[in-house]
Amino acid sequence: MKSFFEKKYILLLILTGLLWACGGGGETTDPPTPVDEGKDRKLILTHLADNIIIPAYGNFKAKLTLMVSNGDAFMAKPDMTTLTAFRASWVEAYTEWEKVELFDFGPAERQTLRSFFNIYPASEKGINDNIADPTANLEVPASFAQQGFPALDYLLNGLGTTDTAILAFYTTAPDAAKRIAYVKRLTSRMNTLLDKVITEWTTYRETYISKTGLDIGSSFSLMVNGFVLHYERFIRSGKFGIPSGAMLNGVISPEKVEAFYKKDISRTLAQTAHQAVIDFFNGKNIKTGADGPSFKTYLTALGAKDSATGQSLAEIINNQFAASKGKMEGLKPNLYEEVKTNNPAMVAVYTEMQKAVRMLKVDMTSAMSITITYTDNDGD
Amino acid sequence: MQQYLKQKIPAAPLAVFRIGFGLMLLGSIIRFWAKGWIFDLYIKPRYFFPFYGFEFVKPLGNATYLLFFVCALCALLVALGWFYRVAAVGLFLSFTYIELMDKSTYLNHYYFISLVCLLMVFLPAHVYFSIDAYRNRRIAAAYIPQWCVDAIKLMIGILYVYAGLAKLNSDWLLHAQPLRIWLPARNDMPIIGPLFNKDWVPYAFSWFGCLYDLTIPFLLLRSGTRWLAYVAVIVFHVLTALLFPIGMFPHIMIVAALIFFSPDFHKGIIRQLSRWFRVPETTGTANSRTYVPRSYILPVFLVFFSFQILFPFRYLLYPGELFWTEQGYRFSWRVMLMEKAGYAQFTVIGKNDKRMVVNNNDFLSTLQEKMMSTQPDMLLQYAHFLRDYYAQHGFESPQVYVDSYVTLNGRMGKPLVSPETDLAKKEDSFQHKSWILPFNDTIKGF
Repeated sequence: MKSFFEKKYILLLILTGLLWACGGGGETTDPPTPVDEGKDRKLILTHLADNIIIPAYGNFKAKLTLMVSNGDAFMAKPDMTTLTAFRASWVEAYTEWEKVELFDFGPAERQTLRSFFNIYPASEKGINDNIADPTANLEVPASFAQQGFPALDYLLNGLGTTDTAILAFYTTAPDAAKRIAYVKRLTSRMNTLLDKVITEWTTYRETYISKTGLDIGSSFSLMVNGFVLHYERFIRSGKFGIPSGAMLNGVISPEKVEAFYKKDISRTLAQTAHQAVIDFFNGKNIKTGADGPSFKTYLTALGAKDSATGQSLAEIINNQFAASKGKMEGLKPNLYEEVKTNNPAMVAVYTEMQKAVRMLKVDMTSAMSITITYTDNDGD
Repeated sequence: MQQYLKQKIPAAPLAVFRIGFGLMLLGSIIRFWAKGWIFDLYIKPRYFFPFYGFEFVKPLGNATYLLFFVCALCALLVALGWFYRVAAVGLFLSFTYIELMDKSTYLNHYYFISLVCLLMVFLPAHVYFSIDAYRNRRIAAAYIPQWCVDAIKLMIGILYVYAGLAKLNSDWLLHAQPLRIWLPARNDMPIIGPLFNKDWVPYAFSWFGCLYDLTIPFLLLRSGTRWLAYVAVIVFHVLTALLFPIGMFPHIMIVAALIFFSPDFHKGIIRQLSRWFRVPETTGTANSRTYVPRSYILPVFLVFFSFQILFPFRYLLYPGELFWTEQGYRFSWRVMLMEKAGYAQFTVIGKNDKRMVVNNNDFLSTLQEKMMSTQPDMLLQYAHFLRDYYAQHGFESPQVYVDSYVTLNGRMGKPLVSPETDLAKKEDSFQHKSWILPFNDTIKGF
């Protein structure tokens, strides 16, 4: 009996060893091929971090710094010249922001950067209350619409109908000093928050490129979910769906467009955000402008395609991006006007983007096999 | 046949199975509890998807913890063979109740466990090496009818063979789907990871997996191939456990497959256990007795297994592609066959000119939304929930429409339901759901 057991255990050990050896052998003898490289998520993550995300934050930081210093100049001596400079750098920083808003995972998510930088429409009442109360808490969700770019939009462009009237709020108004203090508070706060995110990325980078899995909490999972959510909720809905009423019975809300007070940059902001998504999808190097390892190359290496036509999924998605982009180009720069006078064109952008949302959310996520739940699964 | 039914076998294999199965279940429940899933899956969500005909089975709020406790306690009692009959009935009822509470947590292996629990209610797994047998000499027996052990083997055999049959389809064999999608996702694993970048590997896994499922019960039955087959069981299930998030299933199957070994092997295990825990192996006088089960049990088993053999084929009664419509998909051992993902955005319209695009996160958990968006019966259940919810919130006789989009095994996504179908007016039944849009592709095979 005893020897019977022993013999079998030896057999079991040998077999396990053989299987293990077979499994290991394949790996050591085959040099990596280019196809393998396309499926190497570490390469993709490294490229995205080093050549897109981190430099994009760097670019944004430069623009934001300029805005802060122009803001300081304006607050030291509020006049037409300083206001114009402040406004111009606000536009530039806002536009640059659209290129980093999509990285809403890791440090940006931890700092809830988007919520503090770009929740609109701005709350005029909230802002005015905060001006009166310099100790108002700006860390709570209720304060999201009272700070960031939309609040500055109101404070720089929306206080009066003429520039003279606006300037008066910073010069002759009884609470001018308090208003200046609040603007200062907002710009420094944005600066501090961004610094935190940039600093965190120096350490998070290592985590980011080492978590190469596709499970919950992996870099791909966080990034793709954040990316898709950004496209769906913050570009499609936020910039087009909500103002045009496409999602709510066709009841339009032109006052809910981005940069509502400045108005004529709303299309540019949307286009910039949309282009940033396209560029990120294609792995476009911020420094060189060349495409690199990305969602696109990964999907292509996986062989994801429409089996009916043979067209690659990456190409289909890029075509859909281009279609949405084309529809946006047909809009006037002032989306507020567009909602009021030419709303079907706004709804058309929403509808076109919706097609891309489905592809990103379903086709791309499924092709990449990204896990969205943490519970057991036997493949439906 | 008469001859076969009279054959007896030492009670050891079934006793070992009872202990292993009970402990694995106990472990499963503890794991489930420790991960916080009782709250996440059965208490937190606002809505639960009942099974057709079992709408009365609902989570019990905080008492759901009590339900899991009862289930765990019954599992332990079954393992110990203490108040066995009551515990087995309790285990079957509590476990099955848990699995019926929400369709979105459906797993084939939970179904398997429920069925085995049901068999265990009738099987004399407690007549040997159990507290019951120790305390009550009258039920103690060293032998049981051969068919009592074979019933478990048959159940395991059905699971494997049907899982294998389900793999005999063009997606699995000719396109290596869905493994072609799933395996590259694990290419960062140490040692074997780089293999998953090779195009032939998903094919090899698919074909071996299919062959494994179809042959393993027979290889386990034959004494000549048994050890080799068991090694294959271990390798196969350990590999699936490493590669896929399938929870306890691999471990349960590795333990369950021990039933195929000889009585001597199981006696060896029991001798070892009795030495470790210093408990008597058998109960003296009962050494030569054979347990005689109640006479109604055999016919009951006959009906049970006939049902098991026929039920997975019910999909043949429905038109359309099974993987697409999922009519007759569950309870048929279709495991790991599909990479299916979807998107479902509902619009509710009231007669009083009210309109609402639903944010599913307001009502469903991530898991529920994922399951609902690809399974037509769940789409319908959710649509009805929305209809009733919005009817109570100011919408006059609400209509419910869905913008759905589903991808299956790497095909480009497309709508599962026509956006013009008012789901509020469709009723669920075992009839074909004619409102499911056609798949417009064929997956050949079972």
